[in-house]
Amino acid sequence: MKTFSITAAITGAIAFGGAGAAQAWQPTKPVEFVVTSGAGGGTDNFARMIQSIISKHKLIDQSIVVVNKGGGSGAEGYIHGKGGKGDAHRVIFGTNNAYLLPYVAKLGYKFSDLTPVAALALDEFLLWVKGDSPYADAKSFVEAAKAKPMGFKMGGSQSKDTDQTLTSMIQDVTGAKMIYVPFQGGSAAAVQLAGGHIDSNVNNPNENIGQWKAGQVKPLCVFSPVRLAKGEPVFDGKGWGDIPTCKEAGLPIETFQMPRTVWLPAEVPADAVTFYEGVLEKVSQTPEWKEFVTRTAQTGRFMKGKELTDFVAKDDAANKKVFEAEGWIAK
Amino acid sequence: MITRFWAETATALATLLFGLVIVYGALEFGTGWDSSGPQPGAFPFYTGALVALASLGTLVVTLAQRLRGAAIVNEIFLDRERAGRVLAFFAPLVAFVVITAFAGMYVATIAYLLYAMRFQGGYGWPVSIAGAVGAAFVFYVVFERFFQIGLLKGPIERMLGY
Amino acid sequence: MDNIASLMHGFSVVLTTHHILLMMAGVLLGILVGVLPGLGAPNGVSLMLPLTFTMDPVSAIILLTSLYWGALFGGSTTSILFNIPGEPSSVATTFDGHPMAKQGRATEALSFAFLSAGFGAMAGVILITLLSGWVANFALRFSSPEYFAVYFMTFASFIGLGGASPFKSIVAMGVGFALASIGMDSVSGNVRLTFEFDALLAGVSFLIAVIGLFGIGELLLTMEQGLKFEGVAAKVSVRDVLRTAAKLPRYWVALLRSSAIGIWMGITPGGPTAASFMSYAMAKRSSRDPAKFGKGEPEGVIAPETADHAAGSAAMLPMLALGIPGSATAAVMMGGLMIWGLNPGPMLFIERPDFVWGLIASMYLGNVVAVVVVLATVPIFASILKIPFSIVAPLIVMICFIGAYTVGSKEFDIWVALAFGLVGYVFKKLDYPIAPLVLAMVIGDKAEDAFRQSMIFSQGSLSIFWSNALVSTLMAIGLALLVLPLIGRVSLFVRGRKPVLNAL
Repeated sequence: MKTFSITAAITGAIAFGGAGAAQAWQPTKPVEFVVTSGAGGGTDNFARMIQSIISKHKLIDQSIVVVNKGGGSGAEGYIHGKGGKGDAHRVIFGTNNAYLLPYVAKLGYKFSDLTPVAALALDEFLLWVKGDSPYADAKSFVEAAKAKPMGFKMGGSQSKDTDQTLTSMIQDVTGAKMIYVPFQGGSAAAVQLAGGHIDSNVNNPNENIGQWKAGQVKPLCVFSPVRLAKGEPVFDGKGWGDIPTCKEAGLPIETFQMPRTVWLPAEVPADAVTFYEGVLEKVSQTPEWKEFVTRTAQTGRFMKGKELTDFVAKDDAANKKVFEAEGWIAK
Repeated sequence: MITRFWAETATALATLLFGLVIVYGALEFGTGWDSSGPQPGAFPFYTGALVALASLGTLVVTLAQRLRGAAIVNEIFLDRERAGRVLAFFAPLVAFVVITAFAGMYVATIAYLLYAMRFQGGYGWPVSIAGAVGAAFVFYVVFERFFQIGLLKGPIERMLGY
Repeated sequence: MDNIASLMHGFSVVLTTHHILLMMAGVLLGILVGVLPGLGAPNGVSLMLPLTFTMDPVSAIILLTSLYWGALFGGSTTSILFNIPGEPSSVATTFDGHPMAKQGRATEALSFAFLSAGFGAMAGVILITLLSGWVANFALRFSSPEYFAVYFMTFASFIGLGGASPFKSIVAMGVGFALASIGMDSVSGNVRLTFEFDALLAGVSFLIAVIGLFGIGELLLTMEQGLKFEGVAAKVSVRDVLRTAAKLPRYWVALLRSSAIGIWMGITPGGPTAASFMSYAMAKRSSRDPAKFGKGEPEGVIAPETADHAAGSAAMLPMLALGIPGSATAAVMMGGLMIWGLNPGPMLFIERPDFVWGLIASMYLGNVVAVVVVLATVPIFASILKIPFSIVAPLIVMICFIGAYTVGSKEFDIWVALAFGLVGYVFKKLDYPIAPLVLAMVIGDKAEDAFRQSMIFSQGSLSIFWSNALVSTLMAIGLALLVLPLIGRVSLFVRGRKPVLNAL
C-alpha cells in the first residue's frame, strides 16, 4: 500500500521490514510525530530530519505521520500528547518548553503528562551585535549598555521564552537594563539587527549565519561552557570556533543551551521508551544526523535515562529562578 | 415564518453577547496603557466593546425602522418552505459532525453520502452505496496513503488496528 | 546587466529534462493540494520536505516552488467553481469569480484567473531579476512601525468601500479582530481569550473560518433558494479559453496596477493574501462602475489573481536575500534551505549563484509550465459544473469538512467550520459584509503585534509612526486612503445623492 505515498511515488517504493532489532515493543500502527512548532520552525526541522533518517535507514517498520501542533508556543502539541495517554504511537518533539511552558501560562497539561525519551542536540545561544557596531567584545558592549539604562534594545523570539530568559540573566549578572523587543521568530530578530533597528540579539547560530556571512552582524560570545566546534571560516577569516565563550569574554554566564527533546505520553510501557531510545540513538549516530547538526551549528549530544532527567532538573531549576525573579509564573 | 425584524434583532443580540464575552475575557490581562504601550488585554477589550456598541446600534436602527413601519423590517427573512429546505440540508451536516465526533470521519462520510445520495439525490440503493463507499475509499487513498495525513478515526478503525 | 548574465546561467542550470519533469510533477501535485481546501500550499510543501533532504538543493527548490505555483492556481479553481477558497490568498477571487461561474461563465472566469495570475507572477519574477540588490536593501529598512503602516494601508484601502450599514461593517471587522487575538500573544507571552478551553489554544484558524463562511454558507444560501446552477450553458471548449485570452489585454490597467500592488506587498510584509484584498479594493475604487463588482465583473477576478501571484513570487526575494518569509509557504521553504545547508542572506546570491539564479530561472519556466498545465485543466474543471447538483453539493460538503480537519488535525475545527457556515449564511442574508471580517482575521493579529512592538521600541510614544520619511509616507498614504472615500460619500450626501450601495 505504501506505493501510494508521495515519498514512494517519486523516489521509488520503500520496502517494508528491514532493520529494527528484536525488541519487546514494536509499533503496530503508523506512528504519529507531533511537532510542537509550526511548519518551518526549528522543532519542525528537527522532527522532519529525524523522520527522513528513520525512513531512509528503515529504523521503524511502520509509516510515520508528522503533524504540526504549534499553537500556544507549542503547548497545543504537548496537550495533544497528553491526550494520547498510554499510547506509545504518539511521539512528541520539542525543546525545553515541554517543562517550562506550564510555569508561564495556564495550560491544560503538566510536565508529568509526558514521559521523557531522549534529547539529541543542544542549540547554542550567542550574543550578537550589528556588524559595524563599535563593540569588539562582550565586555565593552555590556559596559556601554550599563552606562545607558534602557538605551539598548535587545531583540528576540517571542515573550517569556528562551531569548527573554537569557536577556534577563544577562541583565542580572551585569546590572545593565535593556529594552527587550519580542519578535515572531529568530529570523525576524536577525533581520532587525542587520537593519540596525535593534542593538543586539541572542540568536541561535543558524538564525544569524546568513547575516554574519555578509558581515551585517557579528558574534561577541557564546553562552556555552566550551567553544563551539571549529568549522570553516564564516566571515573575515573567523569561524564558529573562534568565538570566545561568554565567560572568557567577561560575561559570567556559564551556560545557556536549549535541548532538542523527544517525549512520549504518560503511562506508556517501559519497553516502548526503550524502543524509541534505541531508534533515536541510532539516528544520532548516522552521518546524515551529524551533517545536519554541523550545518545548523548545534551541539550534538544524545541523552537518555538518568542523564536526561538530570539535565532537565538542572535546566528547569535555572529557568524557574529567572521566571520567579521576573514575576512570570502564572497564577 | 420569521420576519427580518426578528432575524436582525437575534443576530445583533448574538454579536452583542460575543462582544461582551470578548470584553470579559480581555479584562484578565489589563486594558490600560503602560510604559511599553497597550497592555495585552487592550486590543481585545476595545474591539469587543466596539462590537457590542455597534450591535446596540443595529438594534436601535432596527427598532426605529420597526416603529417607523419601514418595509424592510417586515420583509420575510425565512418562510416555512425555505426554512424546510435549509433545515433538510443543514440537519445532515450536523449529523455528519456528530457522527464524526463519535465514530470517526470515514463512518460519517459513508453515512452522510449514503443519506444524501439516496434521499436527497434520489439514486437507488446500489448506486448510493457504491458512491458512498467509493468516496470514502478515495479519501483514504488520497489523504492517508498519498499525503500521509490521518483523518479522524473512530472505534471501528481502532478495532481494525489503526 | 550582471543580473541578465546570471539569469542566463540560471537557465543553463535549470533546462534539463529532469528539472522540467520535476516542475510538472510539482505543478500537478500543487494543483491537487490547492484544490483541497485546508491542505494548502504550506502543508503540501512540508509534506514534500523530507523527500528533498536527499536531493540537490536546486532540484529540491524547483520541486517545492512548482508545487507552490500549482497550489496557488488550484486554490483559485475552487474559489471560482464552488466559492471555497482553496488557499487563503484566493478568498478575494470568490467575490466575482463565483458569480461568473454561476452565470455559466466558469471557463471565462478560470481562464482570466489563470492568465492574469501568470502575468502577475511574471511581473514579480522580472522585478526579482532586475532589482534584487536594491529591493533587499530597501526591505532592511522595515521595522515594526513600517510593518504596522503597511497593515494600516491595507485596512484603509478596504474601509469606506462598503455601502453596508456602518454598524454592521464595524461588527464584522471587530469580530474578525477578536477572533484573530485568540490564543498565544507573542508580545506578552500570555494565552488570551481561550477561557481555559484547550482547543482554542492555537486560535481560530482563518482557513477554517473561510471554509465555513464561504463554502458552507454559500451552500446553505443556494439550498434555501432552491437554485441549481447545473448546466447553465456551461459551454466548455478550448476556443473559449483562447477567446478569453484575447480579451485580457483590454484590462491592461488592472493588470499593471495589480502587479504593482502585489509586488509591493510581496517585498514588504503584507503577503499574498493582503495583496489580493488590497488589489480588489483598489480595482473597485478606481472603476467607473463599482456597482458591477461582486456580480461577476472580470476585473474583480483579474485584480486579486494578478496581485496574489505577483506577491507570491516577489516574496521569494526577501526570503532568499534576508531570510524573511513573506508567506506561510515561504517559511516552510526557508526551513528547507537551512536543512539543505543554505543560509538565506545577502551572501547566498554570491556564494551559491547556481542555486539562486537557478531558482529564479525556474520561476520563469515554472510559471509558464503552470499556466499551460492549468489552462489545459480548465475544460475538465468547468465541466464539473455539469454534474448534477445533488452529487456536487454533498461532495463540496465533504471537501469542506475534511479540509477543515486537515488544517490542524483537530475535531474541534469541524464544529468551528459548521458554526461559521451558519454565521456566513445569516450574515449574507442580513447584509453583514464578510470581507472585512476575513481581512481582519488575516492581518489583525499581525497589525496588533507590529503596533505593540513599535510601542516597546518607542516606550509608549505614538510619534514613532512619524519618526522617519518611510514610515511617515506609508502612514500618510494610509490616512489618505481612509479619508478620501469618506469625503466623497459626504459630498455625495450633501448633494443629495445616495452613495453607491454594494456588498463589500
